[in-house]
Amino acid sequence: MSTPILSTHALTGGYGDFQALFGIDLELHEGEVISLIGANGAGKSTFLKSVFGLLPVAPEMVRYDGAAVGGTPAHRMVRRGLAMVPEGRRLFVGMTVEENMRVAIDNARLPEGEGQWTRERLFELFPILGEKRRQPIEDLSGGQQQMVAISRALLCQPRVLLCDEISLGLAPKVIREIYAILPEITAAGTSIVLVEQDVTLAREASNRLYCMLEGRITLTGASSDISRDDIAAAYFGATDAVA
Amino acid sequence: MQWLDAIIQGVLLGGMYAQYALGMALMFGVMRIVNIAHGDVMILLSLIAVSLAGVLPVGNIGLIVVIVPIAVGIGWALQTFILNRVVGADPLPSLIATFGLSIALQNLMLEVWSADTRSLPNSGIASESFQIGPIYVGLLPVIVLICAFVLTGGLDAVMRYTRFGRGLRAAAADTEAAAMTGVDPKRIYATATAIAVGILGLAAVFAALRATVSPSDGSAQLIYAFEAVIIGGMGSIWGAFLGSMVLGVAQAIGLRVDPGLGILFGHLVFLLVLATRPEGIMARKK
Amino acid sequence: METIKHMRVARATTSSRIAMTLGIVVLVALVAMPWWATSGNIRWAIELCCYIAIAQMWNLLAGYAGLVSVGQQAFIGVAGYLLFVLAQNFGVNPFVAVFLSLIAPAVLAVPTYLLLRRLDGPYFAIGTWVVAEAVRLATSNIDYVNAGAGMTLRVMTQYSQHEREVAFVLLCAVLLLATIGGSYWLLRSRHGLALTAMRDNPVAAASQGVNVGRLRFCIFVAAAVGTGLAGAIYYMAQLRITPGAGFDPFWASMSIFIVMVGGIGSIEGAILGALIYFFADRLFGEFGSAYLIVLGLLTLVIALYARGGVWGLLQKLGDHPWFPVRRKLIVEE
Repeated sequence: MSTPILSTHALTGGYGDFQALFGIDLELHEGEVISLIGANGAGKSTFLKSVFGLLPVAPEMVRYDGAAVGGTPAHRMVRRGLAMVPEGRRLFVGMTVEENMRVAIDNARLPEGEGQWTRERLFELFPILGEKRRQPIEDLSGGQQQMVAISRALLCQPRVLLCDEISLGLAPKVIREIYAILPEITAAGTSIVLVEQDVTLAREASNRLYCMLEGRITLTGASSDISRDDIAAAYFGATDAVA
Repeated sequence: MQWLDAIIQGVLLGGMYAQYALGMALMFGVMRIVNIAHGDVMILLSLIAVSLAGVLPVGNIGLIVVIVPIAVGIGWALQTFILNRVVGADPLPSLIATFGLSIALQNLMLEVWSADTRSLPNSGIASESFQIGPIYVGLLPVIVLICAFVLTGGLDAVMRYTRFGRGLRAAAADTEAAAMTGVDPKRIYATATAIAVGILGLAAVFAALRATVSPSDGSAQLIYAFEAVIIGGMGSIWGAFLGSMVLGVAQAIGLRVDPGLGILFGHLVFLLVLATRPEGIMARKK
Repeated sequence: METIKHMRVARATTSSRIAMTLGIVVLVALVAMPWWATSGNIRWAIELCCYIAIAQMWNLLAGYAGLVSVGQQAFIGVAGYLLFVLAQNFGVNPFVAVFLSLIAPAVLAVPTYLLLRRLDGPYFAIGTWVVAEAVRLATSNIDYVNAGAGMTLRVMTQYSQHEREVAFVLLCAVLLLATIGGSYWLLRSRHGLALTAMRDNPVAAASQGVNVGRLRFCIFVAAAVGTGLAGAIYYMAQLRITPGAGFDPFWASMSIFIVMVGGIGSIEGAILGALIYFFADRLFGEFGSAYLIVLGLLTLVIALYARGGVWGLLQKLGDHPWFPVRRKLIVEE
């Protein structure tokens, strides 16, 4: 197998004195979608933040495109080709839809013209955003805001996209709409890490799956091979758990 | 007629306040950094200007050309070495840090320049005035007002339409999310403070031309700048300009009522705005 | 699992017992001062007590209630002025008037809080400052209190120096008991836990059923009254008050110095800070602005590198609270 585009090696970390991650090994290959599942508090978001340089980690713990990049500040990770759709969307309040997108364009890995993603293309994918491009972000619905958050991440022209709970709090119809564009993203050569609480959704959308429990990886394998019982055991940490 | 005169003088005074308030609008209004040393930095720049004028015969325009880059450097250093370490949701650390800096600066200025009041040599424009009907208007205050207007328009456009402006607004709205979108918050904040103090450099030269300055004058400038920003509405650049006008007019009218009431009227209008429209007169309704 | 036989909740520690004993000794020594100390020393003691009280009140506001005020001088000034008016213009016994004058800070604190309560953090701080400046300017324009020239407390001449000194040390003892003792009582009461929770996270505290708004209001008014008492005593000892002195923003600066250097969010910190400030002022005050430059830079360094101040640094060496407010569960075998 080729070298992974992104990998972590015995990654440990947390907030201040509180350790939340205990040696995470994870690999992501080019064009692949992996999903990271686990209960609340398993450490999934902490893991993404550690990879992205938002929490302190040692350089060798994160390798990206062959280089040790652990602890590199987030804005430099964006230049290298990482992007994140953060949990809770975290859009820039007080700015319009298009301004939110332009912040990403201003700081992207590649100029808008040279990358895979342009505003026009995203407005085709999410026509509603085209209609509301000059409206302040606060006027949009939750689903529409999630579309802006995804657009903003894609306009960074990432090679690796980290998605943190993009289905959270959205209506099923909107979730389908959003997940429907994942193949389009991978087709553009971007690899994806999906953090999800919805196991069914995570299995369907990914090639491989990692399950986390209390800061450790408890299960990994091809998404299609893993049974629901295995997942339940890894997810809850007990062998007799009911899925 | 004397009230019309008061309003005109108030607007002209507001022009001076607007120059103090613009930097504050950027730092306090947008970045939410409480900089207690704002007024002292301006006085420092005024005193540097006065001292330089004695050595370098460059004229007033030349003085601005020299002072503004110094101000930009001070602003950048202030943000990089002090304020970037204390920014955050809690305003107390930045308040305390800049409070300490303010005391240190005030007393440093006392050591260097003594408590005497100083001003720039009275050149032509400072004393010229012209007449509109029965009202006399000083030329310098009009220049100050025009400069403030142009600066406000320019800063507002920078905030709206440039990469820097978008990045700064993004970082102010959500620092971590901005970093995830490729913005370097520390660098953009340093640039913003450099701009804010740079504007203060211009204001410093005008302040020394218009009137006298002494090391202890900083806190008055600070309170007017804060009032103007809050009256106008946090985050709004034009709001700070308008707030300065409101403050200037209130003070000028108070001064006509009784010479002891000028500044008090300004404070009362500020408290009135806080009581009735705490989000400021220019703020977008939520 | 073994069953636990006896449990008790302990709060007193060895350090707190020593501190309490020392505290009582200091208080007794203070009250006895007219019989053993010089008049100069008594004046110093009055000043120090006022510093401790004002700083303690600021600590309660900023360190616990999350209300950073830079306008506490408003309450110092109004209490001082009401005392002078009552004693000088109405002939009220000045030692009674000290307590009556507390009406002024209480009455001023209520509308101030109602006006400013919706403002968060920095707005609130600037709001309090503007209120204090407005009160100062208004006082400077009221002829009844002699406008900018200020007032003199001539009625004090009817008492002998010894009588005055006895009264002052008693007032100072009351002041310390009210501010330090009051803060300690508050922090140990059921509100104490709520306050500590509020200091750490006001939103979370509110969701846990703490009525943040009401508690803040009560603390704001109480701190105004405590600060006012210190102000009334201070200016009574000075025998003179002017708008420039009574409403001097320096009072706010001093509170910030003391509490930040001593250690915010602890009773011990405010006391330590006041002692440090008082003696530094006596030792280095003659250096004037050079000394103040150092003090300013010290505050800056503390804000950047040691947010806990001197008390925070001492705590790192060992947990020896003078005023323990935490409860410790002790399991006895």
